[in-house]
Amino acid sequence: MKKLKMVTTVLLVSLSLILSACGTSKTGGDGGKKTLRVVTDAAYAPFEYQDKGEVVGFDIDFVKAVAKEAGYPVKVEHVGWDPVFIEIEGKTADIGVSSITITPKRIQTYDFTVPYFLSKNEILVPKGSPIKSAKDLEGKKIAVQNGTTGQEAVEKLFGENNDKLKKFDNNNLAILELKKGGVDAVVADNTVIETYVKNNPKDDFVFIEDDGTFEKEFYGLLLPKGSKLKAELDKAVNKLLDNGTYEKLYEKWFKIKPDIKILKEQQ
Amino acid sequence: MDFRWDLIVEYAPLFLKGTLLTIGLSIAGILIGTVLGLFIGLGKMMRKKLWALPFKWYINFFRGTPFMVQILLIHFAVVPAFLDTTNAILAAILALSLNSAAYVSEIFRAGIQSINRGQMEAARSLGMTHGQAMKYVILPQAFKRMIPPLGNEFIVLIKDSSLAALIAAPELMYWGRAMQGQYMRAWEPYLTATVIYLVLTLSLSSLLSLLERRLATE
Repeated sequence: MKKLKMVTTVLLVSLSLILSACGTSKTGGDGGKKTLRVVTDAAYAPFEYQDKGEVVGFDIDFVKAVAKEAGYPVKVEHVGWDPVFIEIEGKTADIGVSSITITPKRIQTYDFTVPYFLSKNEILVPKGSPIKSAKDLEGKKIAVQNGTTGQEAVEKLFGENNDKLKKFDNNNLAILELKKGGVDAVVADNTVIETYVKNNPKDDFVFIEDDGTFEKEFYGLLLPKGSKLKAELDKAVNKLLDNGTYEKLYEKWFKIKPDIKILKEQQ
Repeated sequence: MDFRWDLIVEYAPLFLKGTLLTIGLSIAGILIGTVLGLFIGLGKMMRKKLWALPFKWYINFFRGTPFMVQILLIHFAVVPAFLDTTNAILAAILALSLNSAAYVSEIFRAGIQSINRGQMEAARSLGMTHGQAMKYVILPQAFKRMIPPLGNEFIVLIKDSSLAALIAAPELMYWGRAMQGQYMRAWEPYLTATVIYLVLTLSLSSLLSLLERRLATE
């Protein structure tokens, strides 16, 4: 979903560029445990967002835990989506964390740690719905959030801008439409859907996974190409996956259990 | 700045579809809103304070709360209460009509009250009833004065109809946003929509000034 960020960010890029150009702190110099500069685009709750000016979220807690495990102090800064990549490429920051999907294209320019998060689309339907898989969505009315991978997935299956597809401003409105009977299903990110099902048992909704149809995306911590930190951070990520810290953080933010096995399989 | 004309060409049929719906929503909103607004305006002018009160609060509510909230409320609460399902186009028409009725009613009241008291008194002394005097003497004169503020209101209504995109009514702005969501490009869809809205509002204002000239007595 993150790769299809709202265009508003794009509109701010020119400004951010100027700001990042004058605001880069010195992170050069090696040896010792220097403070790592972590950059993010804090506009994607609950992964990273600003709570009264402070950058918080699952990603932020996670990157702090990873750095602690590796023995580094960190300083997290909100810089915006495109500047995250510019700073990491220019090595003016050490780690980028912003629900960044690991893609073959990005691997050409950057390094990633081992994956720390699985993101895929799922289907939300009322209990007892005849829809059991993505195939059953054919001919049904579907609500999605505009500009997301959920929308992309549905359009790939049933054609772009087809009549049965309703695009909403955000997932809450799409789910509300389902609740009021305006559509038969919602397609959105697994965390969104599973958290909703878990937190709203009265609605009697269930989520449907269809791994054969919906592609899996994995998030990684973004590092400069050839970063010396990669080995250390990979070890720390694995430690957190193994010792239950990751699960604790995941449950704290999403109220559901993570699928750690699938993350390990990717390594 | 590179500007992808090809994307606009690709989306042109959808923009056309959206424009037609925008025009439909606006016409429905203007017509229903105007009729409803006339009654609410007359209601608010009733001499019995208690009877005028509901009309007064109708205006207070629809004028005093954000249209965005009204459209969401109507779509997700009011329409499902009656139909048991949502209907974006119906909700958009309802929201536009109810909202514009509040503004139109005040325009009517201003128009009617701007006519000199002597007109009503003269009509009544000729033997007309209050209703007749209203219909044949006051309203025709008042209507002429209402055209410019009504024109304002109708233009605002056309632009406000873009908020129907929020509830996924496939009007002009909806397709603009869909295009933006698909291609991650802001200016092609939004500037296209802007030009179309401008054409729509310009056509409306030229229609209104034509009407104004027709009704001119001097």
